[in-house]
Amino acid sequence: MRPSLDASLSAKATFLRILLWTVFLAFGLRLFYLQVLQGNTYRTLSENNYTRTIVLRSPRGMLLDRNGKVLCRNRVSFSLVMDTAKGGSIDDTIAAMKRILEFRIARSEVDAALHRSPVASLAVLARDVPPSWLQKIEAHQQELSMLRIEMELRRDYPFGLYAGHALGYVGLLSPEDAEKLKIKEKDPFIEVGKAGVEKAANVRLMGKNGVRTAQVNSLGREVEDPKLRLPGVGLVEEPVSGKPLTLNLDMDLQTIVENGFAGETGSAVFMKPNTGEILAWVSVPEFNPNLFSKAVSASDWQALMEDPGKPLLNRPIQGAYPPGSTFKPFVALVGLQEGILTASTVFSCGGVWEYGGHAFHCWSKGHGAIDMLTAIQNSCNIYFYHAGDRVGIERLDKWGTLFGLGRKTGVDLPGETTGVLGSPAWKKARGLGPWYPGETLPISIGQGYLTVTPLQLLSFYSTLATGGVRYRPRIVSGPPEVLSTVDVSPEALAVVKEGLWRVVNGGGTGKGCQIPGYDVCAKTGTAQVVEASSGKNTYSLEKGERDHAWIAGFAPRNDPSVAFVVMVEHGGHGGDVGARIAKAGLEYLFLGKKPGEVAGPPAPLPSQSPPTAAPEVPTDLPPEPPPPEDQPVPEGIPASPATEQGNPTGVAP
Amino acid sequence: MKDALKAFWADGDHLTTLLLLGLLVAGSVMVRSATFGTKFAGLAPRQTAWCFVAVAVYFVAVLVPYDIWLEYSYILYGLCVVVLLAVMILGHSVAGSRSWLILGPVGFQPSELAKFASALAGAGYIKDLSHKVIGFREFSILSAIVALPMVLTLLQPDFGTATTFLPIILAAFYLSRMTLGQILKWAAMALVGLVVLFVLGWFTFFKPYQKERIVTFLNPSTNIRGAGYQVHQARIAVGSGELTGKGLYSGTQNRLSFLPAPHTDFVFGVVSEETGFLGAISLLLVFLALLSRFLSTLLLARDLEGRYLVCCAFSVVLYHLFINVGMVLGLVPTTGIPLPFISYGGSSLIGLTLFVGMAANVRAHRFVR
Repeated sequence: MRPSLDASLSAKATFLRILLWTVFLAFGLRLFYLQVLQGNTYRTLSENNYTRTIVLRSPRGMLLDRNGKVLCRNRVSFSLVMDTAKGGSIDDTIAAMKRILEFRIARSEVDAALHRSPVASLAVLARDVPPSWLQKIEAHQQELSMLRIEMELRRDYPFGLYAGHALGYVGLLSPEDAEKLKIKEKDPFIEVGKAGVEKAANVRLMGKNGVRTAQVNSLGREVEDPKLRLPGVGLVEEPVSGKPLTLNLDMDLQTIVENGFAGETGSAVFMKPNTGEILAWVSVPEFNPNLFSKAVSASDWQALMEDPGKPLLNRPIQGAYPPGSTFKPFVALVGLQEGILTASTVFSCGGVWEYGGHAFHCWSKGHGAIDMLTAIQNSCNIYFYHAGDRVGIERLDKWGTLFGLGRKTGVDLPGETTGVLGSPAWKKARGLGPWYPGETLPISIGQGYLTVTPLQLLSFYSTLATGGVRYRPRIVSGPPEVLSTVDVSPEALAVVKEGLWRVVNGGGTGKGCQIPGYDVCAKTGTAQVVEASSGKNTYSLEKGERDHAWIAGFAPRNDPSVAFVVMVEHGGHGGDVGARIAKAGLEYLFLGKKPGEVAGPPAPLPSQSPPTAAPEVPTDLPPEPPPPEDQPVPEGIPASPATEQGNPTGVAP
Repeated sequence: MKDALKAFWADGDHLTTLLLLGLLVAGSVMVRSATFGTKFAGLAPRQTAWCFVAVAVYFVAVLVPYDIWLEYSYILYGLCVVVLLAVMILGHSVAGSRSWLILGPVGFQPSELAKFASALAGAGYIKDLSHKVIGFREFSILSAIVALPMVLTLLQPDFGTATTFLPIILAAFYLSRMTLGQILKWAAMALVGLVVLFVLGWFTFFKPYQKERIVTFLNPSTNIRGAGYQVHQARIAVGSGELTGKGLYSGTQNRLSFLPAPHTDFVFGVVSEETGFLGAISLLLVFLALLSRFLSTLLLARDLEGRYLVCCAFSVVLYHLFINVGMVLGLVPTTGIPLPFISYGGSSLIGLTLFVGMAANVRAHRFVR
């Protein structure tokens, strides 16, 4: 017999059935909502979980010299990155880093790194960290979950200091760079050239980063699992390497010339006059571009910026100096060209010339009656005061402009300054009043309202060598580029060349760079720094007050294959230290004299020593060197960033 | 034995048997997928072995008529209480809870078995009642039978498992006939008991980490970050399964460790991700069929102790489902309670199989002889 089913039990069972169906209906609806209605959204979320975009960094192009020597290559470097998107406490991570990695970093530094990163959640905490950190971070995954080590490619300059100003250096992309270069990519390790060829040829050198999509697990570790191979994962956009760049530099010559300075300050450029190829580019004191490739600390940067020797100044194009006597051949050339002077024009030098109530001195007590060639050979001031006075400032200005004096040369390096070629129009434009005839006289001997960059002067001598064709000076190899052709008569040129030949080979001031059989033509110059130096032996003065020494020229006379300029700040007479440096370079080019046979053996540094522990915290650096003022002419006196020039001799105000 | 088999063939609850077998197969497969390629991969064959044990246990539970089971219920209950006490002293500690009894290669949580034993003992107590009515006195005694092993489990401390004793008390309450006054009186007694126990425990034998666990349990928001992450990832796992799922062994949330505890508490996330809406709904329908079967058995049972056993089975299984699936779907807070028959774990599997077996037993022996 079945027990009687009391009504209450039946009702209770019905209630339970309703309860049961309610629960399952809720589950079913919830599943339907999550999986069918919102399924797409959650699929995307799950894909975001396991896919990580990995940047395949493209190497920057190598830099090679004209003989294929490696001037710059890439090295593998490890960097410490904090990813705040991982979740976790930044302060705890800082404490854990101090304990586990023995790496100290302040919270403010982390915040600053986050602030300057192009990816808001990524902070580059340190670069060039020891590879052992990789294992340490793996081993302490729990505490250091926000950290990871990323591999990047850094620049390595095997020659170190040598040719640093030509090569330049790179630095992390700043927001300003990104805007200027139109780089939209979000990667905290994009490096761009900040100076030199690295900056000028940045687009060619840079290449393009690739992209790879990786499948990662919840720890962010990459997982290879054939069962989980999903569309989109592993997709590769190949990185495009930057193009290697061959430079016109000859590192053997570069090393010889650079070593020739032996502690002096100054600059030198060697160039092929018929193509504009720059063979050597020296600016001393040097800086080591590898310093920027490591993490430059704020203090290192400060030291570089405040160094009184201004190592970051690219002297051949950023230093503007009075050319001194190296300007005299120009005055002669203009006089000849305009038919005002001839080779046989004679002026008398008595050691001093009274003009407009001022005494204009020669360096000598008097050359007597002197013709043009002898005047060039002996660098007679009085002759050229007269010559300049005859020619006049207008013609000097006209021809100076044609030869590119006081103008940018158009060299393929950034940051070039113009210098000053004074003229009545120039003076008027600056509200400095009318031109006095007495102001033409100092210009005639390369002083006064006249400053040139060493490269401008080289360009002028190179144009003399080519007979009027001006080529764009180029560091990066490529086809020659004619800037302009100056219409100079061969007769006038022949006279000036004869004068320059005599300077070196006729017992003149440039005999120090004489090379038998190679007919070196050159002119020395001594640019006065302090008025007091006039009439005094410059070597008796303090180093900082001594004259700047110049020598510029070309060789061989009949078929010039090289033009050169050497400028030694406070070097005394150009015929001494300048000629010695120039000769070292010329001997290598003509006689093949190798470094060991010339000065000291300047064995190029094979490679920088690998980075050691104690990585430095990167700062916002390196910024670019301070841009030179376009017209550095305070108060009407041509000044240069590198000289503290006094009032030139006898300038009548 | 032959007669018993014959009787089972004639009157047995074959639907429940089939549903249970389906769940066991599903559980084996899901645990295998959830542990595939991980350090837990060895658990999959163990789970399968447990499933075979469960089948054997099920048939033992079904073939022996339940009135015979009830004759031994007090002995079984007493044994379980003794073992629980022993575990408190000698037990193996996992994650701060002394709840494991290790016998050679096999680990077992006696609390899961004690849960069944307390339901069985309750039914035995009802069987001996002359008036067959669960009033205030009877309900209080039934509650006490459940409370003893529950408190011992609470002291391990294993709060999640301890709460799974509650549906048995609910079952007793549901079958009882009491006035509102009696219900309130019972509630007051239970409250006082709990408070006394808690205060006693707090100041005598709770260790600091145990107190910490209690605080975390009572106030889950103290660990909201971790829990919130788990719930979020579980929801992604479920949703990204879409209609048809990503395929077995191919769930990215599961296989790439985004889903927490995929082979235990969050196994329903693996089911949803890898078999999709269709798979998850199918599994729920199996559970729905099983529980509906219990409800129909409730009406068919020949006596009150039978009804009590079925009601306990219904209540316990539904409670597990509600908490576990609700947690994975983000409808109830996170608590470590397994999905019956699917989550990895032998103790829970055997304990719940016994409940199902006893419900089938009641149905098989529904006719009054």
